[in-house]
Amino acid sequence: MSEALLTVDDLRVAFATQSGRVQAVDGVSFELRPGEVLAIVGESGSGKSVTAQTILGLTRSHNTQVEGSIKLGEQELVTASQAELRAVRGARVGMVFQDPMTSFNPVYRIGRQVAEAIRAHRKEVSKDEARERAIELLDSVGIPGAERRVDDYPHEFSGGMRQRAMIAMALALDPEVLIADEPTTALDVTVQAQILALLERLNRERGLATILITHDLGVVAEVADRVLVMHEGTIVERGDLDQIFYSPDDPYTRQLLDAVVRVDTAAPLRARRESEPLLEVADLVKHFPVKRGLLVNREVDRVRAVDGVSFSVRQGETLGLVGESGSGKSTLSRTILQLLEPGSGSVRFEGREIVGLSRRRLQPLRREMQMVFQDPYASLNPRKRIGQIVGEPLRLQGEAKGSELRRQVQELLDRVGLSAEHYDRFPHEFSGGQRQRIGIARALALRPKLIIADEPVSALDVSIRAQILDLLSELQADFGLTYIFVAHDIGVVRQVSDRIAVMHEGRIVEEGPADAVCERPENDYTRKLLAAVPIPDPREARARREAAGLA
Amino acid sequence: MARFVVRRLFGMVAVLFAVSVLTFLIFNVIPNSDPALRMAGKNATPTLVHNITEEWGFDESLPQQYVTMMGKIFSGDVISYEGRENVDERIVEGIPATFSLCLGAAVIWMFFGILFGYLSAVRAGGLLDRVLTIVAVTGISIPVFWLAAILLNYLTYQTEIFPSGGYVEFGESPLEWVEHLILPWVTMAIVYVGIYSRVLRSNMLDAMNEDYVRTARAKGLSERRVMTRHVLRNSLIPIVTLFGLDFGALIGGAIAVEAVFSLNGIGQYAYESLINTDLPPIMAIVLFGAFFIVLFNAFVDIAYAWLDPRIRLGEEAR
Repeated sequence: MSEALLTVDDLRVAFATQSGRVQAVDGVSFELRPGEVLAIVGESGSGKSVTAQTILGLTRSHNTQVEGSIKLGEQELVTASQAELRAVRGARVGMVFQDPMTSFNPVYRIGRQVAEAIRAHRKEVSKDEARERAIELLDSVGIPGAERRVDDYPHEFSGGMRQRAMIAMALALDPEVLIADEPTTALDVTVQAQILALLERLNRERGLATILITHDLGVVAEVADRVLVMHEGTIVERGDLDQIFYSPDDPYTRQLLDAVVRVDTAAPLRARRESEPLLEVADLVKHFPVKRGLLVNREVDRVRAVDGVSFSVRQGETLGLVGESGSGKSTLSRTILQLLEPGSGSVRFEGREIVGLSRRRLQPLRREMQMVFQDPYASLNPRKRIGQIVGEPLRLQGEAKGSELRRQVQELLDRVGLSAEHYDRFPHEFSGGQRQRIGIARALALRPKLIIADEPVSALDVSIRAQILDLLSELQADFGLTYIFVAHDIGVVRQVSDRIAVMHEGRIVEEGPADAVCERPENDYTRKLLAAVPIPDPREARARREAAGLA
Repeated sequence: MARFVVRRLFGMVAVLFAVSVLTFLIFNVIPNSDPALRMAGKNATPTLVHNITEEWGFDESLPQQYVTMMGKIFSGDVISYEGRENVDERIVEGIPATFSLCLGAAVIWMFFGILFGYLSAVRAGGLLDRVLTIVAVTGISIPVFWLAAILLNYLTYQTEIFPSGGYVEFGESPLEWVEHLILPWVTMAIVYVGIYSRVLRSNMLDAMNEDYVRTARAKGLSERRVMTRHVLRNSLIPIVTLFGLDFGALIGGAIAVEAVFSLNGIGQYAYESLINTDLPPIMAIVLFGAFFIVLFNAFVDIAYAWLDPRIRLGEEAR
């Protein structure tokens, strides 16, 4: 066994916050060996990101207390001076962050930001040389036309390209260690597959030691050599892939593995329903004009967000709507609810046409169709109490007021697994999962027939995700709800849906029973999408890789 | 970028036209009394009123009156009937003093506003931050006319450190130019130094939490570089917008300051004309002032697009 490159010994990180001391990392020890990919897995709040950032001293502040030891070769980093740390950052240890949208400075060209990393450490490199090197680097991470794109601004790059550029920047000075903090979480699955392949290639070609921080066991199975499972600031289990996936010792690891949904596994059998269609959508179109002109704006092009979509949903069933970002699935949801005015087409609810109805005629229909949103943090007004948020639809529709309103809201809170005493609290006092329950209670308040859930679980940890999915199916059974479940994660969609519709570039490219679509896809895009989904099963992943290598 | 500039300049022409029409309406149509009589001022005689009506074409149609008024103002033959002098010439004479005052004040406030804002943000919570906060809040709270009087009293009349009022051409003696302008500059700039340092401080504190700042640190940049290149640079964008609005509005502030320090610029001329209810100069100053503000704002928008590629390229992509 070769000498460890990075040794973390009994690392403890605590933050002083307004509500007291928080021990984010509590006695973490591990070694990183040359050329290996070490995955640190955990849910939010497990301390995995804090551990990673502390290696580079990025968590240092007067509110932070760091104890223990982090040794890079022979050099101690916990007690290193700022200047010593700076010499390590970027040069010996490169870092890639989660969100490629916000991790670049929007006002500088990509090439300049890469060159800046080089010149921060090598003063003797001229601007022109650094630029040349930036072009080489961008080219090496697979950015087409790097020569030209080097002068683009970050907002001109797609998410996947930005993450490639981010990796190029982290590798600019040939570091020994790469720390990737959720590098693919913000990306579409097909892009994620490309980035993972890139990381793997770089790892192989350069003998780079990589720490991969992630919550996604599928990603781990695809690329990691060894795994650390973190929970509440400590490492609860460590081992190689097979051990973690096939013979986990720790109950938390088992819990994580159980919560994982796999796209290649059928959902528990669902009762077949033969019922009347509740919602029928025909040839629905929503285009956004692209206007341009020197003085008078003329329409020069249009974004075909929804481009002739037809489908129907029967009473009491769940239709899964899958697509990557930009496929038009969110626009479709909003257009169905008439939150956006359709360009043309028809939406029939209980056999009645709702396109073109006046605001007033729509008002009573709004109570029948509700929406649950993705981000439980942004979609609740932070200055309103939970009772007000959940009770607002009831109040607006003149359904209840005063103590009756309070009673109804408390009943709803109880129904979604919160308690009546949460009525007077504010959103920030709740966790992500609890907030999503609040969002569901709000959607449920008017006893709707149809709920469109737009990525309701994609911002949640796996264990919480399972709870919310359970809640949704419980409510469906109790209230006879009909769902349109919109998500990018086809694995989750398969678990909850009777039928799946796959959306791509504004159109539904394939539609059918959930199991059929996932197992016998007919459309090329569906096949590509399914192939890109990481399978949280190392043997399966290896088999897939070998098959791909042979093909 | 060229496309953006052309669009912005065309937009500006449209606004200038609207502003001139509005000025015309405010002065000559809305008051609903004989404009010639109002223009003639205190020593109006029937002959004078008659002559003014002839000269400005007040008996003709409104569009014709508008054209005559613009023609007179821009060709420089507006006469003040009060002082019997050419208005445009007086305005041109006043330009050096007013511009020296406004530009100097702007340089001072931008320099100290950014410096103080930067220092308080970098040392947020520390002693320096607290001292600068007190300075800024005091600066914002001091009424300009009171400060002018206090400065004049202590630094000019009692200790004679600075000369009392008046304006000296830069060409004549740069040193005296500065000596005569320093008190007016400080008087004008101090409020803005306070506001700008506070705005910049909070912008910078927000920017420090941005992901790209963390990226910059992870690259191994020095703390100073992180602060200047990534935090300060991005925080300056809203400051530029603010500056565009405030500098335009400075013409209004110049009226009071020029009057107190008798700087004999456009502001003082406006002040005198207001006291004497001398309409033609007021009209011309309002129009030129408005034109200047519109022009300057267009200029700032262009600078803004240059600073923030998202605006520039977003505009082009559309």
